[in-house]
Parts: sequence; structure tokens; C-alpha cells
Amino acid sequence: MIIKGGTVYDPTNGILGEEMDISIENGKVVEEAKKGDVIDAKGFLVMPGGVDAHAHIAGAKVNTGRIMRPEDGRQGLEPKTKLLRPSTGYTVPNCYAMGYRYARLGYTTSFEAATPIIESRHTHEELEEIPIIDKGALTLFGNNWEVLECARDGDIDKLAAYISWGLRASRGYGVKVVNPGGGEAWGFGGNVTGLDDPVPDFDVTPREIIRSLMKANEMLNLPHSVHLHTNNLGKPGNYATTLETLKAVEDITSSMDRQVLHITHMQFSAYGGTGWRDFESKAPEIADYFNKHDQFTMDMGQLIFGSATTMTADAPLEYANARLLHAKWSNHDIELEESSGVVPLFYGRKMPINAIQWAIGLELALLTESPWKILMTTDHPNGGPFVNYPEVMTLLMSKPKRDEEIATLHSLVPKRSILATLDREMDWGEIAIMTRAAPAKILGLKDKGHLGIGADADVTIYDLNPEKIDPSKDYKKVKAAFSLAKYNVKGGEVVVKDGEIVSLPRGRTYWVDATVPEEHAQRVEADLVDKFTKYYSIQKSNYMVQDAYVTNPMVVKAGVI
Amino acid sequence: MREIVITPLKTFSVPIEAEKICPDTVSSLALKEIEGIEVWEGNRKMPLSDLFQISGDEGSTSPKDTLISLKGDFSRVKRLGEKMSTGEVVVEGNAGMHAGNSMTGGEMTIKGDAADWLGREMHGGLITVKGNAANYVGSGYRGESCGMRGGEIAIEGSAGDYLGEHMCGGKIAVEGDVGDFPGASNRGGTIHIGGNAYLPGAEMASGTIVVKGCARVLPSYQLEGTVGLEGMTLKKFLGDLVDNGKGNLYAASVE
Amino acid sequence: MIIEDVLCPFCGCLCDDIKVEVEENQIVSVKRACRLGSSKIRGHERIKAPMIREDGKLVETTYEEAYEKAAQLLLDAKRPLLYGWCSTVCEAQKKGVLLAEELGAIIDSTATVCHGPSIIGIEEKGLAGSTLGQVKNRADLIVFWGSNPSEAHPRHAQRYSSNSQGKYTPKGRKNRKVIVVDVRKTRTAKNADKFIQIKPGTDYEVISALRMIIAGKGDALPEQIVGVSKADLEEAAEMMKSARFGSFHFGLGLTHTRGRYKNVDNALSLITDLNSHTKFVVMPMRGHYNVTGFGQVCAWETGFPMSVDFSRGMPYFNPGETAACDVLGRRETDAMLVVAGDPASNFPKAVVEGMADIPVIQVDPFENPTTYLSDVVIPSAVAGVEVEGTAYRMDGLSLRMKKLVDSGYPSDEEILENILECVRRRQDDN
Repeated sequence: MIIKGGTVYDPTNGILGEEMDISIENGKVVEEAKKGDVIDAKGFLVMPGGVDAHAHIAGAKVNTGRIMRPEDGRQGLEPKTKLLRPSTGYTVPNCYAMGYRYARLGYTTSFEAATPIIESRHTHEELEEIPIIDKGALTLFGNNWEVLECARDGDIDKLAAYISWGLRASRGYGVKVVNPGGGEAWGFGGNVTGLDDPVPDFDVTPREIIRSLMKANEMLNLPHSVHLHTNNLGKPGNYATTLETLKAVEDITSSMDRQVLHITHMQFSAYGGTGWRDFESKAPEIADYFNKHDQFTMDMGQLIFGSATTMTADAPLEYANARLLHAKWSNHDIELEESSGVVPLFYGRKMPINAIQWAIGLELALLTESPWKILMTTDHPNGGPFVNYPEVMTLLMSKPKRDEEIATLHSLVPKRSILATLDREMDWGEIAIMTRAAPAKILGLKDKGHLGIGADADVTIYDLNPEKIDPSKDYKKVKAAFSLAKYNVKGGEVVVKDGEIVSLPRGRTYWVDATVPEEHAQRVEADLVDKFTKYYSIQKSNYMVQDAYVTNPMVVKAGVI
Repeated sequence: MREIVITPLKTFSVPIEAEKICPDTVSSLALKEIEGIEVWEGNRKMPLSDLFQISGDEGSTSPKDTLISLKGDFSRVKRLGEKMSTGEVVVEGNAGMHAGNSMTGGEMTIKGDAADWLGREMHGGLITVKGNAANYVGSGYRGESCGMRGGEIAIEGSAGDYLGEHMCGGKIAVEGDVGDFPGASNRGGTIHIGGNAYLPGAEMASGTIVVKGCARVLPSYQLEGTVGLEGMTLKKFLGDLVDNGKGNLYAASVE
Repeated sequence: MIIEDVLCPFCGCLCDDIKVEVEENQIVSVKRACRLGSSKIRGHERIKAPMIREDGKLVETTYEEAYEKAAQLLLDAKRPLLYGWCSTVCEAQKKGVLLAEELGAIIDSTATVCHGPSIIGIEEKGLAGSTLGQVKNRADLIVFWGSNPSEAHPRHAQRYSSNSQGKYTPKGRKNRKVIVVDVRKTRTAKNADKFIQIKPGTDYEVISALRMIIAGKGDALPEQIVGVSKADLEEAAEMMKSARFGSFHFGLGLTHTRGRYKNVDNALSLITDLNSHTKFVVMPMRGHYNVTGFGQVCAWETGFPMSVDFSRGMPYFNPGETAACDVLGRRETDAMLVVAGDPASNFPKAVVEGMADIPVIQVDPFENPTTYLSDVVIPSAVAGVEVEGTAYRMDGLSLRMKKLVDSGYPSDEEILENILECVRRRQDDN
């Protein structure tokens, strides 16, 4: 097919608002299509399909959220149609709603932010049920006993072999680290308080865990860098831990053409103050650091007012949240590997803490000079559900909209955040970077997030004329247009037309198959046999995710050269 | 007052969902249009006239001046008067589940018995039951922290279990006995029980429960003394102390 | 040929270390499984062929006829109920949800007579849990409340709880204390360090009293609380608070006594209270090997874990209104499909009587009391023995069941797929 005459934003290839044709054949962007349908995109905004680099869309945590929140399930109800299965849920949608809603937004790829190895079968069962989008999952490695032991011993070769094995066992795409060391400490109800606080019984510090994993990640030439949820997340004053963490790894170099570390949902890690009373934004300090260092990236983790369901492997944080807010609390500790928590919340405009948190996310994006360094996310559904992405996009593009919102918030906001003083308004190209080009680059997905020859034919057309519309003033129209794509083309197939789902292709599941020297693989094997014999509650032969759970795989090769 | 009379054409076994039988919905419709209102019998959608006979006054009125008279056995007809904001609904017989749920105003009178979830998530208005009510009177939906927030429910007979669960406001009065766990997890509102109650106010944070009969009181309630209330001497308790609750429980006698 | 690491298709323990010897497509020995699991794996007499009831008698027929008849009965119904699901794999459960959606039916699992109240309790409070390996490796205090694993989950103690050995519990039982709370001295209670006998129906009050003591408010309590001595509760509370890692396992003794989901609700709050003193986790002792799986599948597909009513084209969840026992007990359902469940054995009598008046379709490998109430009987392969697929253990961990032998029978999944096709064809014809 040919998408003719659209106003194209393809920042990866330097195209920023050019009127041009996109030719598609066999699911790929080609020089010139020999045949096919023509979509007239003249006067409309055309971008690559959206790429979500961090959302909690599948697996045990998400399902725990559903099970404990029938009151969420009864929101967002859409009946079944001839083509579609019913949709339920707002913060924890059912699998079909996930796919349909992403597609309507013009997104074509989403990655589950955190899957524990032993429970990855569940993650993939859910991913398989999500229609349309391409997907993947990042595997948790920050608290596994094998990781802690390798980091303690400085044995990067063995650690790399364990990561290789763990990615295969979980059919995962990358190395996710959440509150390293803290998850293990939570096994007996404890936590770690900083980078150099040793993990009980393991004689290793979070600093050592992060550094070891990063070195192993680079040794394996993995497409994505280590993806980190910092220690002390959510605590006032934690920006110091964040900066300390970055400084602790400044000397490590990336083996690929990408960042060496990605810090996720930075809003939750950019707090000043000493407690909730003097809680304030330290986004300027964080942004300043990122402006001066090119080897790091982050994503926003923007708050959306209203109902949210927090879910994270940072279990001690969730317990603290639940106690503070007298909320329902689910916890799930996972033998030898991780822990997690799920707590429903409500973010209120008049709650001073929430209002400041909301401002922090936006400050981070507006103060970071290069949009390649900061992705637009809400850490769905922790900050808020992804259906609200157009809200965040328009907040970034329109100062008048931000002013209007700030006027509704608790009066403490201007005292604790400089958001109101920031005039910057992102343009179409910057938004395309933050939602398409940069997430693909950061994840190392070379065929996503752009429309160059050979790219996957994932294209979105929005009902917006970039020549005529001023996103600063007409933000309501822009938000409406971003909420319901005029066209979403996935792999060369029209899946959404005028906001309606018209086709349900099955997406692919990306995972990384990394090779390591046999010698180290065998050492890991020996450790695993020992652990399964003594400590795991299941047999090693039943552990790994089988082929039956990943029926449409996209295997990315990597490994120690 | 415009009166619209609705009578079942048969005995129902598969339940009917008729949430559109509500003054706000029918007040401006002609009788013929009311006949065409969509209702569900199990998984079958059909017009109201397939299941009910509709008669009464013609002529559009405001919802406030509309009376819907339901004559017959409506015990399997669910969601009557859902979200009504004004006007009147009278059931000359029994009413099905979720009657008067999410009401914000107006009056509903049930001359027979009411099924489960009467006045669920009510915000305002008045519901009167001449007979008995079942479980979950004036309660919330699963998982929600607030159920009934306002309005009044008056039951002349008895009521079942979980009366007023998650109540945040409003008033429920039962002349007879209630079942297990009335006023569970309450954060406001008033419950008056003429008869007996089993473990009232479990995990209550605030609110008032009065039991004029015999109450089985939780060990986590603290006796504070006796008070005179409405011409009776009642024991006064503070609870539920498991969660530092500051609810007031009054009981004439204790099991 | 010996097949190693077989998963047992019986109870929520989902033991995965079973050794099965197969000779010429027959199972000749089963090692390591408990009596219950071994018996299930070995199997017993099977329903030979599909049957349809004619003039009061079940008469053999073909699968095709049975599928058509099933489809017709379900489509004619205005409030069909699809029930069971606990003893089959997730792949079949998914088909069940799809069938319910397309029929506008209610779908519910055996949780309705088992841990349904636990789910409702979790909807109030959440679930502070862990995988079983955490209990094995860390727990130095284990509480069984209204649960008798010695009889219902025979290998639980050895593999996961009281007698298991782990990283911080190398001495197994000697590294632990076990508390049992029950209405009678069960076999599990006989092996406890402390047994508290309570009167039936008083669980809620006892838990509230315990919570008071744990919160330091014990002085406000009398010396006897609903027939239990305060001193006994104080001792138990002290054992719990001073544990390094406690786990609380509860069963039908808590969920099916007076109070039902409120009992679970209060127990979950108790665990949250304990977490401000020490580490504590809670675990419902799920009965059938894949009832947890149904809850997971149903939740990710519909947003709700059980009792889902699709009558109006989208999922509606309201146990008390939409659960199997509710609709059957009120005689409002007019056709029923039972897959991998035996309601005639497990439902209250009044509810079973509701089944007698309506058409019932049974899909099961084995004859059971439900067969006598069925109008269509469709024999299937035994999941986990003759069919591979996914199951979820009581702690939410998913594993893959193996296929050990071939059978001539179709799987539950295939049967449901066929019924669905008949349904779709008939719907298109209309």
C-alpha cells in the first residue's frame, strides 16, 4: 500500500514535517510499492506507530490488580461486537482491551516492564491474548540469588551466562532491575536504604548489583541496556540516591549504539525534601545531570489524576503506600527471585503530594534539552492508565493547557515546583521522538519507531493538519485526535480506521537469545542444579517457558562475541 | 401526577433486567413508546411489551410528576428505578434485586418484599419496604470503599445479611431483625435496627448503629456506659477497635 | 519408559516431581505422588462413549450428535450456566470463557463452593502472599486455620510447609512452630505445637480478638472470648509476632462457616496487622489442581475471576447474584454445561435439585453423580495425563502438565471448540 502525501514526522531519519509518500510491501517500508491500496493522507499528520517502552500490561501483578479490583473491572465496559471481545477495566484492562486501546491510540508496540523468571509463563499467556500489537517483556534480575552471588563474587562471566539463561527461561527481552537488593531484603520484611546498604545474608550492595548487571549486559551485547527502577523510589529526598546511582556507573561504557543505563519512571525518583511536609521537586537537578551526560536515558512516569493501580516489584514501597493510605494491599514474594506489590490509589488534584508529583513528571521532560533522552510514559498503571497518553502529550505541547491545569491544583505546587515558570512547548517532532523514535532506539528495536526503508510498516495517521493547527491553543482538538487514530497500520495491515478497530492481526513477541561460552554456561548450570535441588519448590525441568507459550516469536540474537 | 401502570404478562423464572423503568426515563414518553423500551430476559433483548402490559395516563410530564405503579410480582425484575432522581415508583408486590440502586432522589415504595442489593450505592431519595428486605440493603459494589452515601431506606419487616456494608452516609431503618454483619466497614451514616443483630459494625470506622433488640457484639468493641435514647436505655459501645474505629454502637441487650 | 517430573492433576499443591512408568501406552506405576494423586493418574473406569438421554435413559451416540445436541440446548436457553473448570487445563478454560461470551451465558468455577469467599475477601483487602518456596525457605512459624492439609493436601507439609527444608530452615520441622486453629482436633492439629479449638461459627470473633491482642489492646478483652481463653490467644499472638517469617494457610473451615467472606476479610487484615511487627504471608489452600488457573484465565480475559454473567454482551460480576449456586438455587437458570467438575456431589442439596429440572451437559472423563443428572454426556481425555496444558498452583505459579499416554478421547478443549462451532453455525443460520 501507499500512504500518500501525509505530513510525515520520522525524526530517526531526519524527517520533520515533510509532505511525502510512505510505500509498504510485505509488512515493511519499501522504496516504492508495486501495487496495493492507496490511503490519501494529504493534510494529515503521519508518524511511525507508537512504541511503549515501559508499561505493566501482562503477568501476575497485572492479574492480581484485576482480581482485587472488581470496581475497576466494571469501568471502561465495552460490549462484544462481531469482531471484538468485550472490554473491561480502566487501570487494569482485560487483555483484549489492552490491544484495542493501544491500537486506537495509534500504538503498535508495547513492552511489559517487569516479569519474574519463574512466573514468565503467566506473562506470556497474557501477552498471547493481547491482540494487534507487537510486544516483549523485560526480565527481572535485580534480586535473584544467583545474581546476588555473582555480583558479590565479581564473577561477570558467570553473571552473563545466568542472564543468558534467564532470558531464555523467561523468553525475555532485556535486563530489568527493581530496587536491587531490596526485593531480597523484603523476603524477611526488610529493605535497603541506599546504594551501599548490604543485602542481608548475601554480603553484596545495590551498587555492586547494578554495576555487575550493567557490565554483564554490555558483555552480552544485548539490544537494550539495563533498565533500572532506583532504590529509595517514592521517598522524599531520593533524588540524591538517583544521582548517586548515575555517578556510580559513569565509568561503564555501552557496547552498542545506545545508552548504557535507562532509568525508568524518573518522576518517582526525583524527589527533594526530608519528609512529606517539605516534599518538593528536584527535577531540575536530575534534568541538569542528563543534559550533561549523554550515556543515560529515562522515561517520565507521569501522574494522571484519578484512579490508578500501583504495581511494582518494589514490594516494600507498596507496603508503605498501603499503610500510609489505608488502601488494599497485595503482596507477592517470589522464591529466590523477586518480590512485588499491588496497591490501588487515587491521585487528587487537591492532594498536595499528588499535585507536586504531577508537576515533577512534566518538569523533567520540559527541562531535559534532548527529547531523545526522555520517553513519554505514565508507568501504566502506576502513574495512570495508558489511555491517558494524549493528555500527557498535549500537556507537553501546550503551556496554556498546563496553566489551566495548574490553576485547579493544590496551592503548594508553585512553591515546590518550577513547572509554572516553564514556557517550553514540545513540537510535533519532539513528541514523535518521545513516543516513537526514542523508545525504539532505547530498546534497541532497529525496525521500529521510524519509517526508513526496511522498517516495520507500523504507521499512524492522525486527524490533525500540522500546517494548520496550533497545538498550543487547540490542545483539546489535538488530544481528541491523538486519542483515536484516523488510521493505524500495523505491519502493513490497516487495523484501525477512523478510530474503529477493523482487523485483529496477531503481534509478535520479541525475546533475546544470547549465547555465552560453554564454560560459563556450565558453571551456571551447576549452580542452578544446586538451587533447584535445595531451594526451589519446583523441578528445574519444569521451569523454563516452553515454545507453546510464545507462538509468534521474534528472536533477537545477541551474546558474548 | 401522571401514572404509568406496568403489569407482568407471565410469571418470570429467568430474571428480567429493566433498569429503564424509572421516572427519569419514561416521564416524557408516550405509552406506545414505553412499550418499546428495551428490557432483557436473561440473554434475550426484547421490548417491554413482550413481557409487561403497559397502561395508564398519556401525556408527557416532568419526571417529578411521574408515578410508576408496578402491579404484580416483580421479584425477578431487577434494577427497578435505577438512578432515579425524582418522581415515584410503587411496587404493589415484591421487587427484584438492585431496586432503587444509585438513586439520587424521588421515592420508591415496595409493598411486598425486596430482593438483595436494595438501594445499592444510593445517594439520595427514599425507599420504603412494607415487607422484608434481603441481603446487602444499602450496600456498595464489590471492592468499592463506599456504598450508600445518602438518602434513606425504611424497612418495616426484617432484613438479611450485610445491611449497609461500606456505608458512607445516609440512613437505614429496619423495624424487625437483621442478619449477620450489618454496618460492616462503615465510614458514616446511621443504621437503626428494631430487632436483633449479629456482629454489627465489623471494622466500622465511623457512623452510628442502634440495635433495639439483642446484639451479639464483637470482642473488639468497648463498652462505654449506658445512655437513654428514644425512650430506651441502651448500652453504648465504641468500635471497631481493631482499626481504631470511632463508630458508635448502641444495643438494648447483648447476647 | 519412566517419565520424570510429571505434574499431579489432583490438588492445589500441583506437585511436579512425580515419576510415572509407562509401558505400551499404559501407566504401570506412579511414584512419589500421594494416594489421591496416584489414584487420579492411574485412572479408573471411563465413560465409554457420548450419550444422550432418551426417554429417561442415557443412550450411546456419536460425538457429532452430542455436540449438536449440546449446542442446541445451550442456544435454546435464556440463562445458560457453564460450570466446573477446576480439573482441566487453562487451554480448555479459555474456550469455556469464549463459549460463555458467545452464548451470553454465565461462567463460574468450583470456587463457588470452595474459595469464592476468599476471592471476595481479597477484593476487600488484597492478598499479602508469596510463592510456596518462600514458606519452605523462610517460614519458622506456620498457622493452619480451618485447613487440614494432612488429609486434603497430603504432600503440602513435606514439600512446602511444616516439614520442608530450605535455605533458612535446614532442620525442617525442628526449625519451626506450627499453630492449628480448628473446630475439632484434626490430623494436622495432632502434629501442631499449639492447637486452639474454637466453636463453629466463631472464627470472625476469634480473629478480631487476636487482632486486638496483636495491636496491644488485649487488656480490653475478657478472659474468655467466645469459648477461647485469652491466655491461649495471647500465646499464639506472641508466637506470631516473634516469628521471623510467618505463613497463614486457610481452608474451607474458614470460608464455609458462618461469616464466610467476612472471615477471610478479617484474616487478611490480621496478616496486614502482623506485617507491622514481622514478616507474614497468607495463602488460601486451593482445592482442585487448576481452580486457581480458572481464576487467572477468567480475570485476564474478562476482568473478573469467577461468576461472570455475559447475558448483556459484557462481563458482569456479582457473586451472590451471578455465582453458580445462586442461579441454580433460585431456579433461574435453564440449561447447564458442566466441564471438569462434579456439582451433584459438591453442591448443597437444594442447589442440586435445581439441576434436576434443567437440561445438563456433562464433559468429563469419568462417571460421577453429575452423570445421573445429565442429558448429554461427552467423555473427554484426562487433562494432565492424556492431554498437556497449563495449570496454576495454589500460590499462583503456572506450570505445564504433561501428556503421558495417548487416549482415543478428545480433550476438553477440542470438545468445547466443536460445541462452539455448532453454536456459531446455528447462530449464523438464524
